[in-house]
Amino acid sequence: MKFTPPDPEILARRGAIVATLRTIVPDGVVSDDAGLAAFDGDALTAYRQSALVCVLPRTREQVSHILAFAADQSVPIVPRGAGTSLSGGALPRADAILISLSRMNRILDIDLENRAVVVEPGVTNLAVTRAVEARGFYYAPDPSSQIACTIGGNVAENSGGLHCLKYGLTTNNLLGVELALPGGARVRLGGKAPQAGGLDLLGIVAGSEGLLGVVVEATLRILPKPPSTRTLIAAFDSVPAAGQCVADIIADGIVPAAMEFMDRRCVAAVEAHASPGYPPDCEALLLIEADGLAGEVGDSVARIAEIVRRARGTAREAKDERERARFWAGRKAAFPAMGRLAPDMLCMDGTIPRRALPDVLARMAKMAEHYALGLCNVFHAGDGNLHPLIVFDVMKPGELERAEAFGAEILRLCVDVGGVLTGEHGVGVEKRDLMPTMFAEADLAQQQRLKCAFDGARLLNPDKVFPTLSACIEQGHMHVKKGRLPFANLPRF
Amino acid sequence: MEVESETQLIEVVREARETKRSLEIIGHGTKRAFGRPASGEKLDVSRLSGVVTYEPEELILTVKPGTTSLEIEDVLARRNQRLGFEPPEWGPLFGVSGASTIGGNVSADASGPARVRYGAARDQLLGIRAVNGFGESFKAGGRVVKNVTGFDIPKLACGAFGTLFVLTELTFRVFPRSAHQTVLAVHDVVPERGLDLLRRAWSSPLEPTALVYIPSGLKVGSLSHTSGTALIRLEGAKGPLGEKIDALRSLFAVAVDEAEDGVTLMSAVANGTAFIGTSDEIWHVHVPPAAAGSIVRALGHSNWLADWAGARLWVGTSDANAGDALKSAARLARGSAVLVRAEVQRRAAAPAFAPEDPERAAITRAVKEAFDPLGLFNPGRMFEGI
Repeated sequence: MKFTPPDPEILARRGAIVATLRTIVPDGVVSDDAGLAAFDGDALTAYRQSALVCVLPRTREQVSHILAFAADQSVPIVPRGAGTSLSGGALPRADAILISLSRMNRILDIDLENRAVVVEPGVTNLAVTRAVEARGFYYAPDPSSQIACTIGGNVAENSGGLHCLKYGLTTNNLLGVELALPGGARVRLGGKAPQAGGLDLLGIVAGSEGLLGVVVEATLRILPKPPSTRTLIAAFDSVPAAGQCVADIIADGIVPAAMEFMDRRCVAAVEAHASPGYPPDCEALLLIEADGLAGEVGDSVARIAEIVRRARGTAREAKDERERARFWAGRKAAFPAMGRLAPDMLCMDGTIPRRALPDVLARMAKMAEHYALGLCNVFHAGDGNLHPLIVFDVMKPGELERAEAFGAEILRLCVDVGGVLTGEHGVGVEKRDLMPTMFAEADLAQQQRLKCAFDGARLLNPDKVFPTLSACIEQGHMHVKKGRLPFANLPRF
Repeated sequence: MEVESETQLIEVVREARETKRSLEIIGHGTKRAFGRPASGEKLDVSRLSGVVTYEPEELILTVKPGTTSLEIEDVLARRNQRLGFEPPEWGPLFGVSGASTIGGNVSADASGPARVRYGAARDQLLGIRAVNGFGESFKAGGRVVKNVTGFDIPKLACGAFGTLFVLTELTFRVFPRSAHQTVLAVHDVVPERGLDLLRRAWSSPLEPTALVYIPSGLKVGSLSHTSGTALIRLEGAKGPLGEKIDALRSLFAVAVDEAEDGVTLMSAVANGTAFIGTSDEIWHVHVPPAAAGSIVRALGHSNWLADWAGARLWVGTSDANAGDALKSAARLARGSAVLVRAEVQRRAAAPAFAPEDPERAAITRAVKEAFDPLGLFNPGRMFEGI
């Protein structure tokens, strides 16, 4: 992975930049090596880099001041939530100010009448549900990192979770944001009323990976908690049988709240790690959940059980709330459990049409043999979002390179069968160079022009999402500040 | 001028670029009189039509923009599926015959009552192909529900009134059709009380697919009522639907009847049928649902109805000055008012959409330039200069 080299001219001004930031946020500037080490990357652990300086604002006004200062000085900005990104979305740069939003963590408004909660960006995903669950509501998007990941990060990445097929991603549960723009101006997009008229700029901000602005407030839709939730595990002695079962459930008109797949290797690892009580000796396991009113759920569960039987699987329902929680704890422990099998892991995130599941699984197994690396599969089967885990040892020469090549081949396969590179983790740095496998030059050029509409100086989260840095010139918008080109040491034109 | 293929469309756009002539993009023209009038030569794209691929087992449908929404619903119904946003037919409202196209419904962000449950077109449009103002075709989004690869440009297609690019393909997620549905009515409820009941159902786990209030004096379907009716559409398999009806009855603790002409009622609400045949101005007022009560109280008449649990109000008025009061009331409630139908002079003079503050207007302009820097597509359709 190639990164643009840091601008030596910015590095030379570091002392003055740190000093000014201290006047903006007196108690929230981290500039010593040890302090910056705590912010030197995210959950894409293969990449580490110290920031120029890290600043932790407490207010939206401070965020605006920082952005105004950065624009004036032509210093790049990298926004950061909790640093749980799996795609390197929050990876710092040596010549960029890292803005950590973690101290802006207040819930500002709980409006049950309008089913809306207004939060600052550093509020964690789970805290939203915790704030409203006693009143019978919850916030639907539930990425596995929900205990730590922040709403600001969720908006930037358009985070998903286990329940997307029925309840959508962050973008479908986001009513509004206040966005701080490069230069420091702030704009409100959306709100508690639907359909404000004008372009759907809110829709573009969700999933923009910190390239368009910094979210300083978000208004979220909360949902009434379903009174009944039931969970089944279905064991199969072949992977294609499980894949067929998934297709049959959807074809029957059932929209399960969640439908998760684990292969033999994953089940074994999870069983050894968390003892959820999964059936031993199966090739594939489905964890299927239905929610709603009791009768409705009962109807769905009966239909699902029948479909599992027809697919020659064995279904078992969690007998009580404790067992249900254990089933889910097993699924959520899949990553740490696999982490015990080898020192390092790459987690992929492609999405494919459901019908391609058996074929893609078979082809990935062949690839694992070819690369001589371990692979296990755990994924959101209902929406076709794969999370193949490649296990390797970075200390063994050549294994990281093999793992990355293997991962890239999996993602190309996802695109080949009609799917996409990333379902919920984002492009970030990890999949940046693979963008041309999914998008033609004209597609990427259009996306970059949109980036320029928000950030003509290209100061926000550089090196992310787009494989090549092209200047904002198409509309004569190339931003030249005080006679200096941004990233002046980059070859241009 | 009309085009039959993307290749032809690209040629037309490139020629428009060279001659600096703008284009008014037209499907079946059913919503042509909605919003500001656009200038430019008419470009009829309705022959970019037909289903490209439909994969019922994936719940995914790709169509060309000139396909009518009715045809799409028909194709989906054969596999017991449907579009989630219940695209309405607004042609009669504007005195235009013919069926609306899916491209037009998406571009005008036109959703029916089911939006309250399934979301708007923006929530279901997963991918697009389009031709931008550079005369290049591009694609964005994908053909799967869960996708975060690149900017979500399909969202921008929704409600842009054709000002950014010309759509050539749209991919939607679709939904299973419920085996049964029923429309329940609570009669003789005053607006405040009726709207309160709707919000209660909205906050319940019954997943209602329509939440409508119709005041006394407004003629919709066969409703006969003294002081207003709340309508709640529930769906499900036979047994579960019965369970939902019972649950609603105990939630409301008032008399709840099943409406005999539920389907007609709902399409009348979606299509604004009550406002056809008048020359009134029509406004859509979008507010947080709990603010609907104070808006309608201030109206002082009953030429309105509430959809989406109160988040959308249809308001008819013959008073040309009423719009200003509506706009400021909506703004006060942190919502906005959209002028849907009015005389052309009036639409040209007054912005149809709430004006944007300077920061937002600057982004709108920059986004327009990112797709259509020469201002070829539907100039002035949404805002002056956009």
